[in-house]
Amino acid sequence: MALGRARLVQPSQPNVDMRPLPHAEVEGEVARLNVALTAARDELHQLRGKLHGALAREVGEFIDAHSLMLEDPELTTGLYDLVRKGHYRASAALQMQRDRLAAAFDALDDPYLRSRREDIDHVIGRVQAVLARDTTPAERQIASRVGSVLVGDSVAPAELAHLTEIGVLGVITTGGSALSHSAILARSMRLPMVVGAHEALKHLSDDDLVLVDGSHGEVIVHPTAQDLARYRQYQREQARGAEALLRLKHAPTQTADGMEIRLYANAEMAADIVQARALGAVGVGLYRTEFLFLQRRELPDEEEQFTAYRDVVLGMGGLPVTIRTLDLGADKADSTGLTLSREPNPALGVRGIRLSMAHRGLFTTQLRAILRAANFGRVRIMVPMVTTCEEVVETRALIDACARELRSSGHEITDHFEFGAMIEVPAAAIALPALIRHLDFIAIGTNDLTQYTLAVDRGNDALASLYDPLHPAVLKLLAQTIATAHRSRKQVTLCGEMAGEPRYTALLLALGLTSFSMHPTSLLEVRQELAKCDRGSLRRQGSGLLRAQTRKGIQRILERMQG
Amino acid sequence: MLERDITISNKLGLHARASAKLVQLLQGFKCNAFLVYRGREINAKSIMGVMMLAAGIGSTITLRTDGDDEERAMNEMAALFERKFDEGA
Repeated sequence: MALGRARLVQPSQPNVDMRPLPHAEVEGEVARLNVALTAARDELHQLRGKLHGALAREVGEFIDAHSLMLEDPELTTGLYDLVRKGHYRASAALQMQRDRLAAAFDALDDPYLRSRREDIDHVIGRVQAVLARDTTPAERQIASRVGSVLVGDSVAPAELAHLTEIGVLGVITTGGSALSHSAILARSMRLPMVVGAHEALKHLSDDDLVLVDGSHGEVIVHPTAQDLARYRQYQREQARGAEALLRLKHAPTQTADGMEIRLYANAEMAADIVQARALGAVGVGLYRTEFLFLQRRELPDEEEQFTAYRDVVLGMGGLPVTIRTLDLGADKADSTGLTLSREPNPALGVRGIRLSMAHRGLFTTQLRAILRAANFGRVRIMVPMVTTCEEVVETRALIDACARELRSSGHEITDHFEFGAMIEVPAAAIALPALIRHLDFIAIGTNDLTQYTLAVDRGNDALASLYDPLHPAVLKLLAQTIATAHRSRKQVTLCGEMAGEPRYTALLLALGLTSFSMHPTSLLEVRQELAKCDRGSLRRQGSGLLRAQTRKGIQRILERMQG
Repeated sequence: MLERDITISNKLGLHARASAKLVQLLQGFKCNAFLVYRGREINAKSIMGVMMLAAGIGSTITLRTDGDDEERAMNEMAALFERKFDEGA
C-alpha cells in the first residue's frame, strides 16, 4: 500500500526542443548524447545485476534486447548524424529517430509489430529520461516526484528500478496484467502497483491524493479519514514487521516448540555469499556452477573453476558449501558448443549428470576443481538430474579416481567431503531407497520435480494453472522422499522455490522437512514463519494432507495450518 | 560465403527477445552475418535490423555468413532458429 500525490505521465510527451543548435554547441551536444546513451546502458546493466531467479531469465531477456538496441549503430549513428549534420538537439534527435523507426515498423505487415514499437519507445524514453535529468527544470520535476504515485499507460520493467530510486511510492497503469513482467518485478521490489486501471487517466489529475493497494488491486482517489486510518495501521504493521525481521538476523532458527531448523542459502554470485552470512544461513545448500560456463566461447579450465569454488568456500568461513556440478542442457543457451542444440525435447534430453557423463573430460575437470577447493573448508558435491543407481555409483568412483590422481600429483586432498544428489525426477524419488545407499545426503529440487511429475513445462504460460507444487502427486513424492531420507538417517534439504516461500513453510514442516535452502533474501521471512509453527498442532491440522484429492482440499488444510 | 534457407517456426517470429538472442550469439563470431527476406538484406549483428526484417512465423528467410568462422556461425545460427529461440513453446 502506498499513499501519495498522483503524477500523470501522458504517453509520448518528452520535453523536445526543436530549435536548431548554434554551431559552437554541436560537439557539446554530441557529448551530452553520448553520456546519456552510456548512462542508459549502465542503468540497464545495473538493473540486470539486481535480478535473480526466474526474473533474471524472463525480464533479463528484455533488458538484454534493450541494451543491444542502445548499442546498435542502426540506432546511434542516425542520432549522431542528426545532431552533427542536422544541428538538432539530443532530445529532438531521439524523438525524430523514434518516429522514423516507428514509421518503419508501421509499414511492416506483422501482427506483432506493436510490441516492437513499444520496445523502441521504452529504449528511446529511457535515454530521454537521462537527458532530462541533467537539466535544471527536470531536476525540479524529479524532486516533485518524491512521494508521488505514477499514473500512466504502461511502465517498462527496466523503468521500475529507476522509479523507486527517485522516490516514486507506487504505480498505477491503465494497461497491463498482473502477470506482466512489470507487475512481477514490482512485486519482487515490493513497490505497490495496480495494473489494468483503464479509467485511471480520466479520473485522476496531478496532485490528487491517491491510495494504492497493490495486494488488493485497489486505487482510492481522495481517501477518506477511514481509508487514511487503515493506511496508518498498515504502516505501523509494516514498520513492526521490518523491525521484527531485523531482530531475527542473529536469532536461532527454531519452531515454536523448540525444534532447530537448518536454513541454507542458494548462491551463485559473491553478493549471495555475503548476504547469506549476514542473514545467518548455516551454509550454502545449492551453489550453482552454470554461470561459469554460460555466455563464453571457451570452457573454464580447472584453475579458473578452482578459484571460483575456493572463494565461495572461504567466504562461508567453514560452513558447508554444497556445490552442484554442471546443470546444463539444450534448454539453456550455451555458447561453448557443449550442449546438443538439436534435441527435440531438451527437458528430457542430455542435461545435468547426463551431459557431464557424456563429456568425461569436462566432468573430471570440474570434479578436480571442487576437490581442490574442498581443502579450504567444508564442501559437499551434488549431482543434478540423477535417475539411476549407476549414475551415482559411477560418479562416486570418478570422484575417488580424481582424488587419487590429484594426490599422486602432489595435491593435498581432504577426505572430508560429502556426496549427494538432487532428487528432481520422479524416477529418483520413487527409486530413492536404492539410490540413497550410495549417497551421503540428498536435496529435493521441487521446480523440476513438479514439472516432471505433472508433465508441465513451467515456462509455458498456457499451462501456468497446471503447474502446481501442491498437486497431490507432488506432495506424495515429497513426503515419501523426506521419509525415506529420515529412515536412512541421511540429510534431506529442499532447495526449490517452495523452500523460500513463507506460505509453504508450515506445509513443508508438516511433511517432516527440517532443512531448507533458499535465495538469501527469503531467509528472514522463513525464519519468522518457522517461529510461529508448532509441530504438534501442524501434525494434527495436516493429518489429512496426503489424503486430500483436490487442490481446494489441500488449500483448505494449508489455510488451517497457517492459522 | 555460405547460405542456407530456413523457415521461422517460433510463435512470435523475430521479436525483440529472439532478435537479442540471435545478435548475442553472433557477437561471438568474426564473420559477417546477414539475413535476407523478400529481397531485403540486413546485418544480422544489428538488433534493429533483425527486428525490422518483420519475418513472422512461417516465413522463409536466407541466412548468409561470410568470413573466417562462417561455418560454425551458420550452424549455430540455424540451430537457434530450429530451437525456436529457446522459447519453450
